[in-house]
Amino acid sequence: MHMLNELLSVPVAAGTLAVAGGGIAFICRKVGKVITSEKVALMGIMGAFVFAAQMVNIPLPGMPGTSGHMVGAVLLAIILGPHAAAIAITSVVMVQCLIFQDGGLLALGCNIINMGLVPCYLGYYVYKLISAGKSGSVRIYVAAMAACLVAIETGAILVPVEALLSGVLSVPFLTFLKTMVAVHLIIGLIEGVITVGVLGYLQQVRGDIFSFGAGGKIRMSKRKVMVTFLIFTVVIGAGLSLLASDKPDGLEWSYADRPDQMDFEPMVSNGDAKIEAVDKFQAEYSPMPDYSIRSSEEVSAAWTSFAGVVGAILTMGFIWGIARIIRSNDKKGFGN
Amino acid sequence: MHHAHIDKFAYQDSPIHRLDSRVKFIVVMVFTFLVISLPVDSFGILFCYAVWPFAILVIGRIPLKFAFKQVLIVSPFILFLALSYPFYERGLVRTEFGPWNFEISLGWVKCFTISGKFTVTVLALIALVSTTKFSNLLSGLGRLGFPKLLVMQLGFLYRYIFVLIDKAQHILMARSSRRMRSLGVKREVKVAASMAGSLLIRSIDSAEKINIAMQARGFSGTWKSVNEQKFRRGDLLFALVCGAFIMALHFIVRPFLI
Repeated sequence: MHMLNELLSVPVAAGTLAVAGGGIAFICRKVGKVITSEKVALMGIMGAFVFAAQMVNIPLPGMPGTSGHMVGAVLLAIILGPHAAAIAITSVVMVQCLIFQDGGLLALGCNIINMGLVPCYLGYYVYKLISAGKSGSVRIYVAAMAACLVAIETGAILVPVEALLSGVLSVPFLTFLKTMVAVHLIIGLIEGVITVGVLGYLQQVRGDIFSFGAGGKIRMSKRKVMVTFLIFTVVIGAGLSLLASDKPDGLEWSYADRPDQMDFEPMVSNGDAKIEAVDKFQAEYSPMPDYSIRSSEEVSAAWTSFAGVVGAILTMGFIWGIARIIRSNDKKGFGN
Repeated sequence: MHHAHIDKFAYQDSPIHRLDSRVKFIVVMVFTFLVISLPVDSFGILFCYAVWPFAILVIGRIPLKFAFKQVLIVSPFILFLALSYPFYERGLVRTEFGPWNFEISLGWVKCFTISGKFTVTVLALIALVSTTKFSNLLSGLGRLGFPKLLVMQLGFLYRYIFVLIDKAQHILMARSSRRMRSLGVKREVKVAASMAGSLLIRSIDSAEKINIAMQARGFSGTWKSVNEQKFRRGDLLFALVCGAFIMALHFIVRPFLI
């Protein structure tokens, strides 16, 4: 998930930019010393491969009409090694920001950390740790799966943490965190399955790219896939039920209870003691806005604010008009 | 898909297009920092800030329809978040706006401000990349001190994204023309994995060919560009005007509106 400018405060944005920039500069220097020109082209193409691979989608089981795709950071880390993969994914994130405007310019630091540095290094070392250089089919399946899940979950957890540090969240932190974790469990699972599939394919077709020394084969057996799905369905189910029991849905709450208007009749009242307790808990939990201080200030600012908006719109109209006139003159003058 | 669809406007010509990419990059960066640092109830001044990207887009002859369409395309996540604010912060705020005087919940104020900030910063980013050729932007970034390896990476990436996306589309078309029904989870995953795998192998093969071609042309590990950008008088003027505008907003207009 791309982090956005608006979820960050300036110090957090500057801090993460500095960390990401420093990290990338360090990796570039380290890799730059040993890299051959052959690897330079390979890394560039691999970045482009990530874009293309994201178009290969699979329909999700049990959810008709939806489809998932891979992210690719862990796959690249396994094939290219973590340093080269980190540079490749960083360039992908930068192009997503600069050309496709996905994720903000200030959030670039966060995005590089969440989606590039953390998944590449963490995923690579988890994979290394579990696979331990051996070529057993089950071992590699588990290793790649675990690497993808850990890498993607960690990246996802960092998003609400960074937003929390910035202090811009009004959605309760835990709700946001749980939503991100639940959503990214599914994403990580898809990533894991496809990564394992690609590794198996590579081993069959081009053992030279992805070799474990002694030849071994990864096969996707139906049982393995099913067992994995079962385990993670249970985990996701447990996570979602936690989420559901903790707080009622925001919309439901807004109908049931309006603490800001004392004389407001609840439209939907529910006699259940548990739900009422949860409502009360949430009413206490939600931060009280400091509008009493704000309101006195805003009265004085009313007209200047209005003038600001009107002035800005007039200025834009003025610029547009001038540009229009100049453009039509250009057309007459030079016939282009 | 060809890259002309995405940054076709970068190849136009206008006073903005001719500026040094470093100046534009720095100005956009500073601008974004200032917009993000605005407090939550600053809807009025956001409009004033919006004048800058608007001016760049209009002078650079970028169709506004294209820019706003692009904002819409990237907005789902922020819209989802912004619309969740009214559910969580429902204390009422007394707001006066010109002749109107009304009560609105703080959540809605935040929702509007956040979406406004998003629109303004994305417009500024679009104004930067659609008035600057990506190669110029990269050489600018390189001269601002970005690591050479990363800049080269970005260059390769930009050059080959669209080639590989074309290949991926061929593979996808082949799949959809052969698959008449859903194949079940296992086969779907297997097919997708083989598609991604063959795409990977093709990418690695083409990287080898590209490397040989580059070696044959004397690639020594760094790029050399013929048209080096120079910092000219126009760039200085642009930097001064933008600086004056931003400073005036920040130090003179902002205290009035907030």
